[in-house]
Amino acid sequence: MFRFRFLAPLLICSTFLASCGGGSGTDSASTESMSGAAQLGRLIFEDPYLSASNTMSCATCHDASIGHAWPDANAAVASGGPGLNVKGLRTPPAINYLKFNGAFKFDTDGTPRGGFFWDGRVNTLAEQAKGPFLGPAEMANADASAVIAKLRNRDYAEQFKQVFGANIFNDPNAAFERVAYALERYQIEDKDFAPFNSKFDAVNQGKEAFTPEELRGLVLFNRVDKGNCAACHPSTKPDNAPAALFTDFSYDSLGVPRNLDIPNNAVATYYDKGLCGPERQDLATRTDLCGAFKVPSLRNVAKRKRFFHNGKFTTLEEVVDFYVTRDTDSTRWYKNILGLFDFLYNDLPSDERQNVNVTEGPYNRSGQEPALSVDERRDLIAFLKTLSDR
Amino acid sequence: MKFKTTLVAAAVMLICQVGHAQTAKEVAAEMRQMREDLRQLRAELDGLKKQKNQEPSAAPVVAAQVPSQSSTEASAPVKAASNPSYANTSPSREAEPVANAVNLFGYGELNFSRLKNSIASSEATARRAVLGFGYKFNDRTRFAAELEVEHAVVSRNDDGEVAFEQLYVEHDISDGLSAKMGLFLLPVGYMNESHEPTRYYGVTRNLVETAIIPSTWREIGVGFRGLQDSGLRWDAGVVTSFDLTKWPTDSAETKESPLGSIHQEGQKAKAASLGYYGALNFDGVPGVNFGGSLFHGGVGQKQTVVASTGAQMPSPDASVTLAELHTKWQVGAWDLSALAAQGWFHDVSAFNAATSSNGFNNPVPNQFRGWYAQAAYRLWRSGDYSLVPFTRYEHVNTAVSYSGVFPGQVVSTGPDTKVWTVGASYYLHPQVVVKMDIQKYQNNSDLDRFNMGIGFHY
Repeated sequence: MFRFRFLAPLLICSTFLASCGGGSGTDSASTESMSGAAQLGRLIFEDPYLSASNTMSCATCHDASIGHAWPDANAAVASGGPGLNVKGLRTPPAINYLKFNGAFKFDTDGTPRGGFFWDGRVNTLAEQAKGPFLGPAEMANADASAVIAKLRNRDYAEQFKQVFGANIFNDPNAAFERVAYALERYQIEDKDFAPFNSKFDAVNQGKEAFTPEELRGLVLFNRVDKGNCAACHPSTKPDNAPAALFTDFSYDSLGVPRNLDIPNNAVATYYDKGLCGPERQDLATRTDLCGAFKVPSLRNVAKRKRFFHNGKFTTLEEVVDFYVTRDTDSTRWYKNILGLFDFLYNDLPSDERQNVNVTEGPYNRSGQEPALSVDERRDLIAFLKTLSDR
Repeated sequence: MKFKTTLVAAAVMLICQVGHAQTAKEVAAEMRQMREDLRQLRAELDGLKKQKNQEPSAAPVVAAQVPSQSSTEASAPVKAASNPSYANTSPSREAEPVANAVNLFGYGELNFSRLKNSIASSEATARRAVLGFGYKFNDRTRFAAELEVEHAVVSRNDDGEVAFEQLYVEHDISDGLSAKMGLFLLPVGYMNESHEPTRYYGVTRNLVETAIIPSTWREIGVGFRGLQDSGLRWDAGVVTSFDLTKWPTDSAETKESPLGSIHQEGQKAKAASLGYYGALNFDGVPGVNFGGSLFHGGVGQKQTVVASTGAQMPSPDASVTLAELHTKWQVGAWDLSALAAQGWFHDVSAFNAATSSNGFNNPVPNQFRGWYAQAAYRLWRSGDYSLVPFTRYEHVNTAVSYSGVFPGQVVSTGPDTKVWTVGASYYLHPQVVVKMDIQKYQNNSDLDRFNMGIGFHY
């Protein structure tokens, strides 16, 4: 009996473990179809006739084949408006994996986090979806009624009534809210917006292995004294997502060089300062936040055609070089219209350049060697390419 | 209809156990004999106390408590017993009128969980450690508190939590009638008041008494309890209630426990609208308990702003009602129990209509409900050791229906959650248990898991 007292838990344990089958899992991909609202959202997302020009849809700026990112390598910003001749202020952001983002807030330590658009000025996907319909440099409709008047003539108008009620078009403002809702549901329910099927995911699931270059790149990505990328682009799974998102949805002031391809930047006194304006209005007095833009997910980053809020760079190699040599080889990055050295952090007014992050790696290398060697940057890029969904 | 049918089936299952009448009689006789023995022991103890109090050199006593076998509340000082080895240790005269004034108790549990289809989600945690302490002012008035630490570490960067689960003063108004004031556990179901890991089956607490009844559910207020010789026990009280303005945008949280996501736990609780509860239990037959409870309280709290969004609060008078029935039958080696609970939110349509455009994809449900039936059998016992396999079936829906949602709105009225839990508790001592179980979710195999843990109370 003495023996049984101590063996009993082990026997039970081994029985249970055996019946657990060792936990080997199978993919449980959902076969559920999208809701009626989400199906409408897909139709609206791809419909160019809801724009004043009849040629611009959500999909124009958010190409599903590259992670719903801006597809034109030859332009930093989109051209919209009724005649497609009004240039925007910022590069359209990639909008995949955004369903894991939340409303804008300040953490208890004052860190800004969440919100949508580059400056987090709205709090939900639905609210964000309304913006481009009315933006003068985007779809440029006069108001909600103009959008709904167009939608009523589309072949899916009947479907819209079936889902949202027969009388929904009697109230254009309510109908416009439903348009935004449908787009939100589409982004939430369509797995293409968050497929989690990159090589990184396959490695995490034990199905594939990194090459030596990719593995070295991951280490460099995480190391605080090297890339320190994970400080803002965590490579670990958050509580609310099935795998790492490679963003913490926070904000940082990187001192990205001024991009003179954006027409507004031709005006010397104009500065796009992100959180503190001018697009966003409510934090205008928070000058300590000037220059801070939202940290995007790095999933599918290797597919992007333009990088950062102003689309300054066109290749991933250029971006990584900028990160690690910004303060060690500044003359390469900050140039005026003549191609001569301008000044540090030239896309911010002088009294706000102090907001630029110079304390964390890899930026804290002024007067030193870059945090990453050329070979290490190559390894890092090899790793970043594993974040592309397939 | 399916819900009702299954409830009837569970009731029939329990009634069928009456076939063990012979064993029940034996147990009843044994219980009667034990009661008689206890009466004799009490009489002897009273005699000894009187004798001791008459001695002129009687010293004050501050003693440790002998572990109690009853519920959490029963761990309070009223049950304290003396330990002679601590006598004469204090020179103070303050505690002289009351022997055994200080009382320490507590419990802890550490769990391991492994999801069948997601090894990466395996987790081990020091789920909770509770330090309880009490003080007996005199034979009629006492104080008790429980301080809980969840998940071992509490800091800005950790998920741990420190909380007072209980903090109250209790006073015996007369024999069979007591009053309680402070932060205390509501007498709802079985687990809310008695949740030490040694007292329930399964590594984790059952789903119904966490998702529908938000155990550990405590409120600040005043409560009364009456006990009658017939075995009837009643409870009634006025307490703080829930706060709908805390309703989170995270649907996972509200689906997990609608009331748990808006509880106030005695922390600056909004008290513009109070809650009222009543409970009735019958314990007059050895080994048998049945009863029920009803709670109704305001949740709108007359508020004007929704905390999670800063938007206008459109349902200041919203309220919630929670009703619950339970029964337990401990006969021979069997321990059978069943419980059903149903909640209703009232006047939440305006809240749902207004918040649908503010990032809320999880409206407040009109109804939420669940039930379970559980059977455990003491397979083996030797001294303090025992082995008790058990099985439990649970049926839960935390969002049965909604009001105030617009046509086409996607709301999570998914299928009921149905869970089988099969496992065993291996007691090294009646107060120390090693547990293991398997949970099978009938309509979501991603949640199937293996759990193991250790728990204790003292």
